[in-house]
Amino acid sequence: MKDYNAFREEVRSFLAEALTPDLVRAGELTTSVFSDFEAALKWHKILHKKGWVAPDWPEEYGGPGWDINERYIFQEECKLANAPTVVMMALQMLGPLLMHYGTEEQKAYYLPRILSGEDMWCQGYSEPGSGSDLASLKTAAVRDGDDYIVNGTKIWTSMAQHSNRIFCLVKTNKEVKPQAGISFLLIDLDTPGITIDEIISLDGHVEQCQVFFDNVRVPVANLIGEENDGWSVAKYLLEFERGGHNFTIDIKKQLAKLRKQARKVKARDGKPKLQDPVFRHRLAEAEIEAMALEQTELRIKGALNADGNPGALSSLVKCVGTELGQRFNELSVDAVGQAVTPYHADSLNPRYEGKGPAPGYALTTMAEYINNRAATIYGGTAEIQRTIIAKQILKL
Amino acid sequence: MTEDQQMLRDAAERYLRDNYDFNARRERVNAGEYMSQEHWNTMAEMGWMAMPFSEELGGLGFGMQECAVVAEQFGRHLVMEPVMDSVVVAGSLLTFEGVNTPSSLIEQMATGEALVVVANAEPDAAPSFINTHSRLQATEGGYRLVGEKVFVAGGGSATHFVVTARLNDELAYVLVERGATGLTVNHYPTYDGRSGANLVLDVLVPESALIATGETAILAFAQARARVVLMASAETLGAMEAALEATVDYTKQRIQFGQPLASFQALQHRMSDMVIQVELCRSLVEAACRAHDEGAADEMELILATKVKTANAGRHITQEAIQLHGGIATTDEYVVGHYFKRVAALDSWIVSRDEALDKFIAVVDAA
Repeated sequence: MKDYNAFREEVRSFLAEALTPDLVRAGELTTSVFSDFEAALKWHKILHKKGWVAPDWPEEYGGPGWDINERYIFQEECKLANAPTVVMMALQMLGPLLMHYGTEEQKAYYLPRILSGEDMWCQGYSEPGSGSDLASLKTAAVRDGDDYIVNGTKIWTSMAQHSNRIFCLVKTNKEVKPQAGISFLLIDLDTPGITIDEIISLDGHVEQCQVFFDNVRVPVANLIGEENDGWSVAKYLLEFERGGHNFTIDIKKQLAKLRKQARKVKARDGKPKLQDPVFRHRLAEAEIEAMALEQTELRIKGALNADGNPGALSSLVKCVGTELGQRFNELSVDAVGQAVTPYHADSLNPRYEGKGPAPGYALTTMAEYINNRAATIYGGTAEIQRTIIAKQILKL
Repeated sequence: MTEDQQMLRDAAERYLRDNYDFNARRERVNAGEYMSQEHWNTMAEMGWMAMPFSEELGGLGFGMQECAVVAEQFGRHLVMEPVMDSVVVAGSLLTFEGVNTPSSLIEQMATGEALVVVANAEPDAAPSFINTHSRLQATEGGYRLVGEKVFVAGGGSATHFVVTARLNDELAYVLVERGATGLTVNHYPTYDGRSGANLVLDVLVPESALIATGETAILAFAQARARVVLMASAETLGAMEAALEATVDYTKQRIQFGQPLASFQALQHRMSDMVIQVELCRSLVEAACRAHDEGAADEMELILATKVKTANAGRHITQEAIQLHGGIATTDEYVVGHYFKRVAALDSWIVSRDEALDKFIAVVDAA
């Protein structure tokens, strides 16, 4: 039996030293899955130097070689210490996929650059006409000598404005059934013919982009897996997007923040909102759901530890975790009341030193509420998840 | 799951599947036979009555984790005999540290000879384990017990009652035999196929019948309440899971508009929601039983959360099960409505959902 307490102490003391006040501020002001990019990159480089930037990677590829409990502890301690989040598309998705499907050359070239932060990757899956029905995608890659010529567009490409590369699903055969004609392609974003449009989200910030490809030349060597085998590659990747996350850690943090807010805000009778029986009972029902989620995630961890397959449970927790997160956002908005209304973009910039119109405890509440609506849409919508449960568990 | 738990589950599953047929159960219910001596004896032979008692008392020394595994199977198979009412709930009151129970009674409970249930609720007392207007008065060689008790679960077939009453302004509970002079047992069938009873008491009990008083009685009831919640939750879990399975099977076979009902996405997603709820409940039931057995710091929080969650989900799932079946599930001859009725009864069993929610808040805010 490993001494996890010692490990936790080691993580804590590292975080206490490495997390400078500007990084903590960026963590506190994080209102979506992405932190302020400048801070995220700085933190990425600090973690890389320590060898901890890719907790899920095996040692042979530069990971720390942690077991699942250590990874959980690290994730939890980072969250508790208000560390900014590192940009995860390459670390959590592309990296594991390259290890599985990439050639030796591809692995040797790309993996170290992901670890160092030299390469920033975005994900090119969805298109304006292809969301949940991903296989209907139309961005085409037509063979021309040793290159493909790529034409089309990708949307919801988070962080494309800060990235230098994109991994894409492209259509390489239109004659077969949709899933059988898709390939997985790596593209440099500085290739001629690529333009990136920023999309302003409901909170007034830019996280999402649309990327346009106009006769973009991409070497065939950038293919991952076989031509027309991109669908199985993508499915493997989606498992990482769905299964690799621990929702309880996020939700515990949300709950702690919410309790703090509800102690500060006064209800109608002048008492703290937390003592308002109507609010308190609503909160309690959500807290109970959080406990059920936590125990379910512990069951998954137990199954993984025993080398078993958590199977059904993984698809469940995406639904429950995201919907419960949204429920806590709502409770938070209700607790804070009118203090959620001021829109002051500077207040959410970690480098801003002035004072905005909203009190400190309410700064992030509305933006979190807004941004988290996407949680039940990305990575397979809540409806797609329910269809997966119906098909895989109930065999309907 | 430990090996013990797996063996218990498999044995219970096998016995009940092979011998506890729904149609036979229905015939028994309709004939007013809410207690089968034959099943009762077999259940005792299976060791289920001995589970929670210590080995010194002739028991198996199991915790709530093991009892819950069996209770879940009882939920799946709609077992009517009040096994857990007796051995877990009354058993808990009779074996709490510092109580005065003859060890022969525990041995009889463990072998199935005695069936003991708790009589606590009263017509005029707020519904709680420890509110009582019944009174105990010391007399020569014992006590006179005067009072009235209602909704005694399993009361129709009990051999003994654990009756709450006030003794010198303290809570106390005494053991009353079914045949005691001055005890009237008005028993009735319940909607969930079991028996209940209302009691009118003006009886003389010997001094040895006084099991516990004061602080000991209060603490014993606190423990019994926790165990009632665990057993109710585990049984609800079994019932909701069985209701879901029946719904999935039925909608796969039932053809409407030229296709199976299960092929409609509107229904698929509702069944997926039912799966989600079952799994969340399973996680909590297991965690709460473990926390109780280990005396973990968050035991009460987990137990109360489990009650709220399983009560919510139990209702949701059994109601959905009826809705997704359609008319057939509103009939007595179809199994699904019986899960629904049992779950509704379990909701009200001594600790209600709303009470658990309120207590949950108190526990969390005090932490």
